Amino acid sequence: MSVHPPLRFTILATAFLLIVQAALASPEHEPPLLVQAVQSGDIPPMSGRLPENPRIMQISKNGLTAGKYGGVMRMLMGKEKDIRRMVVFGYSRLVGFDLNLELTADILESYEVREGREFIFRLRKGHRWSDGQPFTSDDFRFYWEDVANNDDLFPFGPPKTFRVEGDLPIVEYPDEWTVVYRWNRPNPHFLIELASPRPLFIYMPRHYLESFHPRYADREALDEQAKSRGSRNWSGYFLKKARQYRLTNPELPSLQPWVNTISPPAERYVFKRNPYFHRVDENRLQLPYIDQVQVNIVSSSLIPAKTGAGESDLQGHYLRLDNFTFLKEGEQRNGYDVLLWKTLNGSHKALYPNLNSRDEEWRNLARDVRFRRALSLAVNRREVNQVIYYGLANESSNTVLPGSVFYEDEMQTWARYDLEEANALLDSLGLDERNKRGLRLMPDGRPLEVIIHTAGESTEETDILELIHDSLLKVGIKVYTKPSQREVFRDRIFSGDVMMSVWTGLENAMPTSGFSPGELAPTSQNQYQWSRWGQYHETNGKAGEKPDLPSVRRLYELYLKWSEITDVQQRQEIWREMLRIYTDEVFNIGIVNAVPQPIVVNGRLRNVPIEGLYAWFPTSYFGVYSPDTFWFDE
Amino acid sequence: MIGYILKRLFFMIPTLFVISILVFVIIQLPPGDYLETYIAELQSQGESVDPDRIRFLRAEYGLDKPIYEQYFVWASGMLVGDYGYSFEYGLPVNEVIGDRLFLTIIISVVTIIFTWAIAFPIGIYSATHQYSWGDYGLSFIGFIGLATPNFLLALVMLYLANVYFGTSIGGLMDPEYIDQPWGIDKLISVLEHLWIPVVVIGTSGTAGMIRRLRANLLDELQKQYVVTARAKGMQEKKLVRKYPLRIAMNFFIADIGSLLPSVISGAEITAIVLSLPTTGPMMLNALQSQDMYLAGSFLMFLAMLTVIGVMLSDILLAMLDPRIRLQGGATK
Repeated sequence: MSVHPPLRFTILATAFLLIVQAALASPEHEPPLLVQAVQSGDIPPMSGRLPENPRIMQISKNGLTAGKYGGVMRMLMGKEKDIRRMVVFGYSRLVGFDLNLELTADILESYEVREGREFIFRLRKGHRWSDGQPFTSDDFRFYWEDVANNDDLFPFGPPKTFRVEGDLPIVEYPDEWTVVYRWNRPNPHFLIELASPRPLFIYMPRHYLESFHPRYADREALDEQAKSRGSRNWSGYFLKKARQYRLTNPELPSLQPWVNTISPPAERYVFKRNPYFHRVDENRLQLPYIDQVQVNIVSSSLIPAKTGAGESDLQGHYLRLDNFTFLKEGEQRNGYDVLLWKTLNGSHKALYPNLNSRDEEWRNLARDVRFRRALSLAVNRREVNQVIYYGLANESSNTVLPGSVFYEDEMQTWARYDLEEANALLDSLGLDERNKRGLRLMPDGRPLEVIIHTAGESTEETDILELIHDSLLKVGIKVYTKPSQREVFRDRIFSGDVMMSVWTGLENAMPTSGFSPGELAPTSQNQYQWSRWGQYHETNGKAGEKPDLPSVRRLYELYLKWSEITDVQQRQEIWREMLRIYTDEVFNIGIVNAVPQPIVVNGRLRNVPIEGLYAWFPTSYFGVYSPDTFWFDE
Repeated sequence: MIGYILKRLFFMIPTLFVISILVFVIIQLPPGDYLETYIAELQSQGESVDPDRIRFLRAEYGLDKPIYEQYFVWASGMLVGDYGYSFEYGLPVNEVIGDRLFLTIIISVVTIIFTWAIAFPIGIYSATHQYSWGDYGLSFIGFIGLATPNFLLALVMLYLANVYFGTSIGGLMDPEYIDQPWGIDKLISVLEHLWIPVVVIGTSGTAGMIRRLRANLLDELQKQYVVTARAKGMQEKKLVRKYPLRIAMNFFIADIGSLLPSVISGAEITAIVLSLPTTGPMMLNALQSQDMYLAGSFLMFLAMLTVIGVMLSDILLAMLDPRIRLQGGATK
């Protein structure tokens, strides 16, 4: 077919104009990495990739600087499984915490909560998965109807968070951009779960996953395919393909800032920028700034050494305070900065006397508040702090940090070092007889020897126990340390064979009233001071024991009450009362908290805060500091 | 001879069967299973796990079945080349091991060559110059190599290589080459890293080999046929090479039995310290996390190589050493 010359000219001219336009539009905004793909038409220009109403990050408002595109960020992780941390760091959530730890809409354009029981989510129009397909309410429907309520995939029903006293929500999809979850009673855990470091994914890329689902594809063919790939049937295969947290499937579309491109097993994982990511900076540059994140898998024991040699651009994991001096030494030579962030546990390590021990004599002692207080008074926290933490930690009971709104000085009443009072308390318990070695005798005549179990992972715990041993001996109690493997450790606690154990303290020591106070009440088997009581709650009374200490029952009632009300003030009151009971009853013995965490940052990497909270929850380690806004300077 | 080989081959079957049971039972001995390890690990990092999900996974992985049934599935699968499924990696075991095997073999082969290249001349020298300054000096260095813990030597060398040569710490190549195709640059990078593990793993092996070669050779050098050969005016070098050395090599052939599996397993501790992408660290992780099919299949693989290696060395010995004969039977 021949084209008329003037027409040909017009076509050429139009094409030329289009190219010029694209070229004019691109150099300012388009990430250089994507320019070629945009020009060749593989992906649409930025305006077509962003939602109509992207999330605008006001970077300079937070005292940081808006940056520029480019660069590769290297990180080190100890196990291949650790690549799931990229979901934690990426921190793209339906709703997420901001820097003040308040909930804000992130993937969602907005959300509304009515009476704490009805949640209306509005998506961003034009939001796309990392493969360019639209992200709509249908992806929520797919998850809810075809996954969470599928008997093969979730034989025991949808995840726990969806149940409020056993009832599941009614889920509605009024239009493509709206999803509504409605319960009969308030569900205070729902939004928090969505904002968690390991979020509850209530959406799944339907367009990709439906080809693995028997409702949309032939079941027998799927089973066949599954077997040839080492799974037993389609459900195992589906779940393997659908892992949004473990990131083992590079084909799975994502909403995170960086998307994995390597399938395991590998020594190095490369995460490339998601061209459809929904955030922009204040200059309308599409985030993330950094093109690529490379995760190298190396022995965890080598990570401090490699970091010190400048082989990581952003590293917190596997670095410990005792690496600090070594890391500091390499600062100049290898061009990085060592920051000290704070950890967020109620106590870095705490002692958990087992209130559910099978040893009756010991159990009676451990359940007596005077005994627990005496133990706490006999711990020389200052010595531990000076010897192990260079005096940089905060000596405290296992409670909230001093900066918290709930903090009260009374919480430290039993965190003093007062051997006299400890002795007096122990005497008042009827433990006034001693043997030749000066050890107190228990009522049945056994000397008071306490075996403290540790999970045996670091020398830190044994070092602390060594120090505590000396001061406890002064009040007539002898402690022995018994390290065991982590699973063995847990099993022994669960079965009641352990008298006392060492583990980290409260997970989140900077709570707000919206966070569940579940950690302060018997709600989980993993609360090592009362694991059987916690199990009772977890299994709805099918296993474990009913709490029988009045103070513990009170905590549990308060926790239940917290779940039912939505009023902020009342919730704060409940938090305060629970913390008061918890610290006054000394259910576990805190030692120090706010232990600094070394963070190594490449000298050219900008926007990493000098001071931060390094914790799993609620900050998702780097997550709430938005690593997508970090950038490399020249 | 052929009858003997057939008999040996036949006896490998019950041996491997017993080994497979032992391996499986021992891996199962620690309390709990993979999922409990998994839960414990998640919890230690602050993540929580839904007990219902764990029940589901337990059924999915077949961990709810009785132990003999799990064994049967695994053992029968192995007969047809299906080594089971690694929970940790979420992949069939073959795919997990595959990549690492190649690099492991490279390191091991280079290390073995390094060991021989150093140990042989020194061993011969020490034996022929017994109690000389050279013998003492070399033995001393050899003992230092034997006595220094490998991991310590590894750390020291890593540090020095990093500070003085700028080699990246650990691994077998600079990170930027990891998923690249092979080329000159990559090869150079591998060579830059390779020498550390080779020297570290090699030193201890070298020392042992020097001592054994020296002892064996000394025994032979005392014998009368050596004196006779010397009396007849045979050249010393030729004499040593032609008679005593060959007889002293028996231990070396007997070593093949243990050599074969070590080529595959790599030196675990050193590999972990140096973060080498070999099978050693993977194996240790699998054992720690009770990833039983990965650990079990790998151990079985090693056992198989050991059994084959021992048989090979027996046959080789019989062929090479005229003093070892099968015809005599057990009458002597």
